[in-house]
Amino acid sequence: MAKSSPSPVDAEPVARRKGRKAVSAAERSEDKTDLLGERSVELSRFYAGKIETVPKVPVRSLGDFALWYTPGVAAVSRAIQADPDRSFDLTGRWNTIAIITDGSRVLGLGDIGPTAALPVMEGKALLFKVLGGVDAIPVPIRVRSPEEFISTVEAVAPAFGGINLEDIASPKCFGILEELSKRLSIPVWHDDQLGTAAATVAGLLNALALTHRSVEEIRTVLLGAGAANLVTARLLLKLGHPAESLTVVDQKGVLHAEREDMDELELHNPWKFRIALATDGGGRTGDLTAAVEGADVLLAASTPNPDTVRPLHVRSMAKNPIVFALANPVPEIWPEVAKAAGAAIVATGRSDFPNQVNNSLIFPAVFRGVLDARARSIPDEVVLAAAKELARGAARKGLTASHLLPTMEESEVFPEIAAAVGDMAVLLGIARRKLSHEEFLERAKTLMGRPAELVRALARAHLTPPMPPTNHRRRKSPT
Amino acid sequence: MTGTEEKKGRTTTAGETPSAPIRLRPARDSDVGALVPLLLRLKRLNEEFDPLLKVREDAEAQARQILKADIANPKAVVLAAEGSGADRDKLVGFVRAQVRERPFYAPEQEGVILDIYLLPIYRRRGVGEFVLGEVANALKAKGAGVVTAEFPAQNEIAARFYSKRGFRPITAVQARSL
Repeated sequence: MAKSSPSPVDAEPVARRKGRKAVSAAERSEDKTDLLGERSVELSRFYAGKIETVPKVPVRSLGDFALWYTPGVAAVSRAIQADPDRSFDLTGRWNTIAIITDGSRVLGLGDIGPTAALPVMEGKALLFKVLGGVDAIPVPIRVRSPEEFISTVEAVAPAFGGINLEDIASPKCFGILEELSKRLSIPVWHDDQLGTAAATVAGLLNALALTHRSVEEIRTVLLGAGAANLVTARLLLKLGHPAESLTVVDQKGVLHAEREDMDELELHNPWKFRIALATDGGGRTGDLTAAVEGADVLLAASTPNPDTVRPLHVRSMAKNPIVFALANPVPEIWPEVAKAAGAAIVATGRSDFPNQVNNSLIFPAVFRGVLDARARSIPDEVVLAAAKELARGAARKGLTASHLLPTMEESEVFPEIAAAVGDMAVLLGIARRKLSHEEFLERAKTLMGRPAELVRALARAHLTPPMPPTNHRRRKSPT
Repeated sequence: MTGTEEKKGRTTTAGETPSAPIRLRPARDSDVGALVPLLLRLKRLNEEFDPLLKVREDAEAQARQILKADIANPKAVVLAAEGSGADRDKLVGFVRAQVRERPFYAPEQEGVILDIYLLPIYRRRGVGEFVLGEVANALKAKGAGVVTAEFPAQNEIAARFYSKRGFRPITAVQARSL
């Protein structure tokens, strides 16, 4: 599944990367991951965590606590009791979200449990703050059933302006997101579904623009039927992609309405069942080879194995084929192999190749937008608005086969996405606060710019110690 | 799965709600070949619910024999569902039921729905309800004063389907291995 950090520490000089072969790229990627892992443990020990809470009000003397806390604060509570929506004005709720996981599918690590998921959630909280100006609290929870997950989130929701679900196994993630979106009056997001799908759709829209095709006239194959691709399929259908030419393929072959496992799917994975009914294999049956013949687009979000998609698959596609190989850390086909087989445009989930389909391009801005609009939910229209704005952001800088999406450095696009999200929330009538486009944009620029200033100020004041050199294990940590 | 077989131009039916996308008629001997795979799909699904519902090796032969027998049995009802559009000449579902004697209770005759199956694309569009109505009428015509349905206890989809249509649990069957 496409998922990666926005700008990983580059442990490998660019010059060495040139002219590599597929196999050595895989090996090198593993070496690099090992190196980064070692360093990450070292730094985690040194800094002892990645985020902390910091007061945002002056505290001139202990006397001020009578304002910030009891007795003064009682009046604030009474005001909120009379009108719970005032919690968005009188507390930090307007900008605070929970990052909630049960630890059942963490990165590529699988079911490692909530405590081991904590460093990942802290990392996500850091991204939320630095990229989106969002205060995100890691909340890994020890729950057994989806029902228990849902009721736990419902129980903690009063503290938050939004919920980010993270690293939950598929297919239970679908039911949890669906049910929580129904029950809560704050936005609920699951990045592995919505973030990856939105970034994929954005990249695809630009790839189609570059090759002069429209979503209404293409044949598309989605390889993999997990969290991301099932939502990508749903979004493509909403964008007007004909169901008759949309084919989803998983380990068992083309997903169609009469496949042998359909009854079981209706029971255990109704989301996949629904997509099977809606697309009915796009008129195809059989395997990937049968599905991909004549297709314009192949969107692979399946398993990290560079032989999943083979050159013969790409060669059998329509003219100027578009291939997204989004598995991490190893794509379903190496970009150079796909290009050699005739792919006009290739995207992956990795930052060391051009065209990284990266959910970090989406989630900070989406949350900035829904929080600024104090939205009640995140319907697909909002997700599509974000995807389209991300696509426009890349287009403004000029589209090429190797500049399909903005990179994380092209941060000027993020406030634009936030504003587009805010606008859509207003349009759909789910915004508690209706700002104009310019107001959303200004606010997003301010709030998304502030964390960088904070980080710099803390460093200048030596409150954040500089990065220790590698392997200085006995160096004194700040705590 | 392999092969590049292109389906015969069936347009997607998602989103449409045709008033009568199927035609129901009494099954004939010549339908048995087409009904066996549908019956087996249903039984294989039941494996999901309980290990004591593991499908036998010879289930296919059994299915053939049972369908044949019930089509000929005057106390049984087997209705075959023909599809619409490109599926016009294809069987897309069926229902099998029997009228049984209730020696201790009134009404004396019970119509038991044993198997009901529709291909997924024909579900969730009121078709199941139509099939249920038709089989209930056929059972009533054969003297049944009550209609019951048998399905695995864990099959919540079936339980919801029937309870929404006025059914309630009246007998429980529990099992353990020996």
